[in-house]
Amino acid sequence: MTKWFSNHLKPISFLIGICLILVAAAALTSRVDAARSLQPPVEPAAQAKPSNDYCLGCHGQSTLSKTLSSGEILSLYIDPSLFHAGVHNQEDVACVDCHTNISRFPHPDFKADTLRDVSIQLYTSCQNCHAEQYNKVLDSVHQKALAGGNFNAAVCTDCHNPHQQTRITDKQTGELLPEARFRIPQTCARCHNAIYETYKSSVHGAALTMQGNLDVPTCIDCHGVHNIQDPTTARFRNDTPQLCAKCHTNAEIMNKYGISTQVLNTYVSDFHGTTVTLFEQVSPDTPTNKPVCTDCHGVHNISKVDDPATGIAIKENLLGKCQRCHPNVTTENFTDAWMSHYVASPTHFPLVYYVNLFYKILIPAVIGGMLLFVVTDFIRRMIEARKGTRHG
Amino acid sequence: MVKKTSAPARSHSYLRFSFADRVQHLAMLLSFTTLAVTGLVQKYPLNAVSLFIVRLWGGIENIRATHHVAATLLMLVAIYHLIGMGYKIFVLRHRMTMLPSLQDVKDAWMAFTYNIGLGKSRPQMGRYTFEEKAEYWALVWGTVIMGITGFMMWNPLATVKLLPGDFIPAAKAAHGAEALLAVLAIIVWHMYGVHLKRFNKSMWTGELSEEEMLHEHPLELADIKAGIADRMPSAATLRKRQMIYYPIATILGLVMLFSVYGFINGEQTAITTVPPQAATIPVYVPETPTPLPPTPTPLPSPTPPAAAEGTQASSTSSTWIQVGPIFAAKCLQCHGALASGGLNLSTYADAMKGGKDGPVIVPNDAANSKLFIVQSAGGHLGQLSADELEVIKEWIDAGALEK
Repeated sequence: MTKWFSNHLKPISFLIGICLILVAAAALTSRVDAARSLQPPVEPAAQAKPSNDYCLGCHGQSTLSKTLSSGEILSLYIDPSLFHAGVHNQEDVACVDCHTNISRFPHPDFKADTLRDVSIQLYTSCQNCHAEQYNKVLDSVHQKALAGGNFNAAVCTDCHNPHQQTRITDKQTGELLPEARFRIPQTCARCHNAIYETYKSSVHGAALTMQGNLDVPTCIDCHGVHNIQDPTTARFRNDTPQLCAKCHTNAEIMNKYGISTQVLNTYVSDFHGTTVTLFEQVSPDTPTNKPVCTDCHGVHNISKVDDPATGIAIKENLLGKCQRCHPNVTTENFTDAWMSHYVASPTHFPLVYYVNLFYKILIPAVIGGMLLFVVTDFIRRMIEARKGTRHG
Repeated sequence: MVKKTSAPARSHSYLRFSFADRVQHLAMLLSFTTLAVTGLVQKYPLNAVSLFIVRLWGGIENIRATHHVAATLLMLVAIYHLIGMGYKIFVLRHRMTMLPSLQDVKDAWMAFTYNIGLGKSRPQMGRYTFEEKAEYWALVWGTVIMGITGFMMWNPLATVKLLPGDFIPAAKAAHGAEALLAVLAIIVWHMYGVHLKRFNKSMWTGELSEEEMLHEHPLELADIKAGIADRMPSAATLRKRQMIYYPIATILGLVMLFSVYGFINGEQTAITTVPPQAATIPVYVPETPTPLPPTPTPLPSPTPPAAAEGTQASSTSSTWIQVGPIFAAKCLQCHGALASGGLNLSTYADAMKGGKDGPVIVPNDAANSKLFIVQSAGGHLGQLSADELEVIKEWIDAGALEK
């Protein structure tokens, strides 16, 4: 089998190279669906490309494999039915469009010590067609970890199996397909399984995985996709309220579940929220000790607020949250110092409501009275000045 | 409270505010302005001007620190004022000319009716006009309110030991509204009264000319001329009263200073660094066995092998043997062990039991079977293909048999 990998570059590969550059250039111009423009632009060159069936002639045999120097077995089998159903095959992407150093059997030599090494070596060819996504990944926390020597960090092919990946975005709109969206947490779970297990039990995760509810956030709605950022930075934390607000101020979604859309307003107008918002606006990279949404509601383990065990609409549970930052708090009535996202009304936080009402009357009354006196006094003095009269 | 200057006859000017009074006013002016600026940006944090000021100040924490320093200064001014007032009242036995009286109401009414052309003349007033008294007492009221509500916000833990928790947001509401009232009052009342109407420099020079006295405080001028204004007590009386007042003032002063110290340092409200939220969950935990190289998750896919088998089998007899694999391939992700909506399609018995709203399969009647209705509508997360649905329909219409 190793013979297949012997170094045998043929002059035709130069022609293919030119063809691929043209293909890649064409692909770069299409942002929504890079792979769409992969029609071979130069007919003679296209003829030189081996067909996918040509490759599957060998790679469609399930026993095909190679033992790496680590002792790991690299399967070289590509399941033809899954491959044919995959988006790459359906969009006429040729095997050699990605495996650019291969043009024909026998193949040039390929050296990889471990299975992981195989992925790390091969994923870079994704950029030929998916430059936008690839470049985003270069700014991601995964890529930084990889550059730092952590080879467990995800690369393209860890999330998208190029031989089987089915279409995940709508060809026309470029929007994520519902089924693909449903699968996202499972994809991330391949490496972040502990977080996935937590997420599954959260109000969001349970709705997605158990009810197929697509209104809830999946991993990428908070962490982004491709250019995933380190979520432990001060910047990410300070930005959390705006992040949650993307959905939680959207009445279209929230009304379905009877959830208030005032959560951001009420937070921002509170001491904690005012502070965090100002940090976010003025010094986003500076950490603050004031809580953001996740400090009280949780991150991957967000529960319903009326959940008896963990819900923070229950004072006992909320007190525990307060005590994370206010360890000296002992009494439950401290929890009322935070208005729990309520807008003051005669029924909720009446004291606050009536204080506001008092000043709503007092301020115009006092200032109005002062203005009345000041304006009349001023006019009177103007009249007197014009007349030239003098008064004591 | 007014003493003639050393040579009133020559300069015709009268001392209105002592040096100490003027320093007090300056300290208050500085603290009030600082409090107003650093407070209003917190009341309207997202205003563009506020953001500019917060940036200029180097962040909200600096704004708050400045606000607290200014508040402390104002508290110290208030203490100084109280001690000084005690001295004037008890030791010097000055007349309490700042106390409001019915005459002030009459004066205000007279001034107003004169302004609107109904009265004959402006009121003749004494040492403090009704405008000045209004401002002084507004300041007293404001300082008390701001002090109490400020304390509550500065020391919320101590406050809730005595009061319900909602006093904290109520204090914040009052603090902000009272601040707005105070700033507006200063702009309207104070600006007009001592800057716009006539630029009154006495708070800086300390003096008013005889003409100014005649215009603004004619009754006081008359008292001074008649010799019935405040006079210094005799040296012996003064010493005797001082001997009583000084110890009392010292104790009161110390108590008040100690209170201010408690106000500022009373409690450690919150920790300074919030512990990271997600630290308890390890980040990198690959699934085992590690599904690499990645394979698609066992979800409904366009051409699952099991579904194909089901389709082929549909031509023969229709039993659970045919439909079971279709359910297994397309439905069990949710309607398996998870039993989403109460529906579990893993076994024939469970499938016939239905979901939380009752059976979803009505034997011999696919058209009235919820499973068929939902799937026919399309768009279900685990949507069956037309061929697969046909198999299900035939099975149900054939009696939905197990064998």
